[in-house]
Amino acid sequence: MLILAVDSTTPVAGVALVDEDKVIAEYFSNYKRVHSENLLPIIDRILTDCNCHLQDLTAIAVTTGPGSFTGIRIGMATVKGLSLGSDIPLISISTLDAIACNVVFSNYLACPVLNARKNEVYAALYDVRGAMPELLWGPAAGAPEVIADKALKVAADREGIIMLGDGYFPFRQCFQEKFGDKLAAAPSHLMLPRAASIGTLARQKIRQEKFEDVHSIRPYYIRLSEAEYKLGKEC
Amino acid sequence: MKTVPDIKILGIESSCDETAAAIVKNGRHILSNVVNSQIAIHQEFGGVVPEIASRKHIENITLVVDAAFKEAGLKYEDIDAIAVTNAPGLVGALLVGLSFAKGFAYALGKPLIAVNHLHGHIYANFLEHDDIEFPAVCLIVSGGHTSILYMSEAGHYEVMGSTIDDAAGEAFDKVARFLGIGYPGGPAIQKAAAEGIAGKFVLPRVFLNRKNFDFSFSGLKTAAMNQWKKNNHENNSVNDLAAEFQTALVEILSVKTIRAAQECNARSVLLAGGVAANSELRKMMKFKSELAGLKVYYPSLKLCTDNAAMIAGTAYSQYSKGDFAPLNLNAYASLLSL
Ligand SMILES: [Zn+2]
Repeated sequence: MLILAVDSTTPVAGVALVDEDKVIAEYFSNYKRVHSENLLPIIDRILTDCNCHLQDLTAIAVTTGPGSFTGIRIGMATVKGLSLGSDIPLISISTLDAIACNVVFSNYLACPVLNARKNEVYAALYDVRGAMPELLWGPAAGAPEVIADKALKVAADREGIIMLGDGYFPFRQCFQEKFGDKLAAAPSHLMLPRAASIGTLARQKIRQEKFEDVHSIRPYYIRLSEAEYKLGKEC
Repeated sequence: MKTVPDIKILGIESSCDETAAAIVKNGRHILSNVVNSQIAIHQEFGGVVPEIASRKHIENITLVVDAAFKEAGLKYEDIDAIAVTNAPGLVGALLVGLSFAKGFAYALGKPLIAVNHLHGHIYANFLEHDDIEFPAVCLIVSGGHTSILYMSEAGHYEVMGSTIDDAAGEAFDKVARFLGIGYPGGPAIQKAAAEGIAGKFVLPRVFLNRKNFDFSFSGLKTAAMNQWKKNNHENNSVNDLAAEFQTALVEILSVKTIRAAQECNARSVLLAGGVAANSELRKMMKFKSELAGLKVYYPSLKLCTDNAAMIAGTAYSQYSKGDFAPLNLNAYASLLSL
């Protein structure tokens, strides 16, 4: 089993190559943020460095969102091209699942939040006591206060709430006020999506044969476009 | 004699609201030309919504590409290169076609060619006509552009003049919107104008008497709006105003283009871009060109609007020169130069 994991849904560009029990290579960059320029060269570099050809892959895993609309599409369009041209199947992974997977075997409640603009975050709540994150609530877009109240309710019996994702930094103060001593911010190396974590989640989906069709795999935006909201299409 | 092998190029286009793929052989023979138009979706919003266009592109891109191969009766590995529009256009929309094309080219081990969308529109003429003589003057006119270009030879462009404000297609859209006759504006105005009489309203021929080849359509649009506000909206006045607006615009475009062609001793006049589908513009350009002893060319209607055959066709000369794009190719909303 050999999986190429690709993520460009947040300011991070991430690519990893994993097999059934280890991470073979991983690239993480939170620096230049020009995914349209960087993503395919990074994929090429990882495959070349590892002497791996697309044809050797069992699947290509991609994050489908939530996140930046354009970022989601850059990753998805790239892997659609790779998949169509090589006949390698696709696996879809939620960006929030991927971030929660950074902090497994913890008694804390995991609350990844992604910057959704308009003073909101995309968020979900996970039980991370086992080897795989288990979704308890969400995903949803909402004001940080609302997400924090939801997390406090779900985490009533927990020692703490571990915050992850790029939506944490702009609303740090709000989460501090809401959670007090219960707040734990993930260390920086676990804070943002890691392609290696996406590979881990993809491994499980491959075992369950949850492959995606190259034509019908869709981004998971959560939100409609602004124009659709203005036309009152939310209901 | 050595036979030159056939070169088959897949073109991909997603710069605005059409998701398109086509396969063209040797820059001349269209083997397939598939266009998925989103017009019906954007009509509801009175214009192209970039985010919705991008969302539709990602849903349709693989379907359109597969349809292009099927129509051509080819397998993926039969093509020699992949050409993609990377500028100008809506960046979010361009990035879908571009990112897909990069991944597809990489997986197939085929070269990638970056194509300028405007070169594509102009090239549409060469897909259908093999007798175009140089030098030529080309009027490129669409929702985003209105320019007169001088072409000393194929693929060589010099800008003689451009709009200083709205593009002609944009003016069509805006006027159609306030007249309440629908979107897209070009076809809507053409239809209304056919029922109206030009000259019942009087609109200015902005810039017509200036010596240069620039255009200004913002003033024409405002004049039309003001006339409409003053008017008491009788039975046929929508159609009459549409007719006068279209006549004014066509007159300005055609007179300036022919004058440009005469000034630089061009042998051919080319028409390109979405507004080149306007029947009055085609008629007037033909009439004025022939009067001036110039040969006029315009693409068939299917190749005037956005399509990928024009992208695949344009890429042929780039293929021949080995002008391939790197894996870090990006998309751009506008162009620094032609
Ligand atoms: Zn166009």
